[in-house]
Amino acid sequence: MSGAKLVQGNEACVRGALAAGCNFYAGYPITPSSEIAEIMVRRLPDAGGVFIQMEDEIASLATVIGASLAGSKAMTATSGPGFSLMQEHIGFATMAEVPCVIVDVMRGGPSTGLPTSPSQGDIMQARWGTHGDHPAIVLAPSSVGEVFDLTVKAFNLAERFRTPVILIYDEIIGHTRESVVLPDRVDIVDRSRPNGNPSTYQPKAPAANGVPPMVAFGDGYRFHVTGLTHNEHGFPTTDPGDTEALITRIHDKVYDHQDEISAVEEFMLDDAEVAIFAYGIVGRSAREAVLRARRAGMKVGLIRPLTLWPFPYAQVADVAAGIDTLLVAEMNLGQLIGEVERAVAGTTEVIGHLRADGEPITPADLIAALPDPAGART
Amino acid sequence: MGRSEFRIAGAGGQGVVTAGRILAEAAILSGSEAIHSQVYGPQSRGGASRSDVVIATEQIGYPLAEQIDLLVALSGEACSRYHPELMEHGRLVADSRCAPTSLGVRDHQFPIVDTARSISGGHLVSGVVALGVLQALTGAVEADALDRAVADRVPSRHLDMNLKALRAGARLVTGGVG
Repeated sequence: MSGAKLVQGNEACVRGALAAGCNFYAGYPITPSSEIAEIMVRRLPDAGGVFIQMEDEIASLATVIGASLAGSKAMTATSGPGFSLMQEHIGFATMAEVPCVIVDVMRGGPSTGLPTSPSQGDIMQARWGTHGDHPAIVLAPSSVGEVFDLTVKAFNLAERFRTPVILIYDEIIGHTRESVVLPDRVDIVDRSRPNGNPSTYQPKAPAANGVPPMVAFGDGYRFHVTGLTHNEHGFPTTDPGDTEALITRIHDKVYDHQDEISAVEEFMLDDAEVAIFAYGIVGRSAREAVLRARRAGMKVGLIRPLTLWPFPYAQVADVAAGIDTLLVAEMNLGQLIGEVERAVAGTTEVIGHLRADGEPITPADLIAALPDPAGART
Repeated sequence: MGRSEFRIAGAGGQGVVTAGRILAEAAILSGSEAIHSQVYGPQSRGGASRSDVVIATEQIGYPLAEQIDLLVALSGEACSRYHPELMEHGRLVADSRCAPTSLGVRDHQFPIVDTARSISGGHLVSGVVALGVLQALTGAVEADALDRAVADRVPSRHLDMNLKALRAGARLVTGGVG
């Protein structure tokens, strides 16, 4: 492969962020995400951006939110323990509609757990870690190249929908180095801006797509930012109508455009009798398992969501309708398997291969977990 | 060569992660595909550490090692932990201080860590000595690509020392005069 370089997953994240226009990073280094901060501190100042090492993860995301309100494209990166501390501000960024990117490189938990081992234990935390009814956009790459692509996508979706976007991958994806060719240029989306008179600007009045145009502090527009429930003027309210309008709108702006957000890989499903549902590093194992199972004459396919949230219920239901068994493999004790069961609604058998011991799920593990009615496995 | 898997395992501080990275970069410089993965403990010094490198002529699907072709064990712990996992075709290169339970006809023991100490005064270049051994035994990558990968990866003030370590590793295999 000409021009290929050995690139680490965490480095690809930095390169994707810079390609997407990231110009602000605030964070507190933590294994296995630390390389993102280490590489960012070397490269971001040269790219005209600002890097601040914060005292903790609470302050990290607060600072990212402030930088974004001032017009920056801002991100932070962490792992489970720091991700826990960020939950409050993820809710604030969702409510105040502040674009930002949060990277969670998953390690074994709970608590400090297994700092240097892989896990997929934060999937539900990424969805429901912050309180209240809220949408979540969560992207899950399964290779170094995809880390780059989905980091770019995370920034673009954050800008497009004025909402925090979470990029989530495990320690193996973060630390593994692969030979890849990364693009020099990518498509970039910028937040929409108001074109009306500053004196009549309503900071939370949505455009037709449900997303309010956004100004930066210092642009000459006056606006108020709050985590309290607020009206279109941006000021707090307890009015039930205003409350319902806001909560509904922050959901609808995401769920009405799920086709722009969702990405699902389907592999060898056409004649499949069994499908493996897997994401992140397990998606790589599953793809290899499918190829080996096919060589053994087993009709197995793969469904791999690159967007975990919003969950692709419809695509999973479609796949399930054509097969006998869905094998859900994840490096936790059962998180997305519940959503798969919701999607399938009892029409297809769902079985789990779940592992939370700090070791990856291998292709051999998955082959052994496949149902084998015909005795095709040897 | 379809797919080859190499594991360099030892203790934190022996340079095994750097060595794996150099091997993968040398493979890419040689025109192959390569993936490097690492496993280490939460300690900043000491503890077990390992590098796995998958080298293939075609794009690599599953990135992690499953059937190691060559294991280089630089510590007793690495040897006792990973030697039993080797499949029938896998070869062991153990440091002389290790005490493997068995040594097959294709396995070897070399004073890798002692060679590193004689060159650098410490064990830091053990991983690079191991690369010299690995290259001489397998020819997994092109020799000049390995030199270039070392030069790309190590600080220039330490380049001579690392190239010396690489050559010394190769001589452990070929038996040339030190």
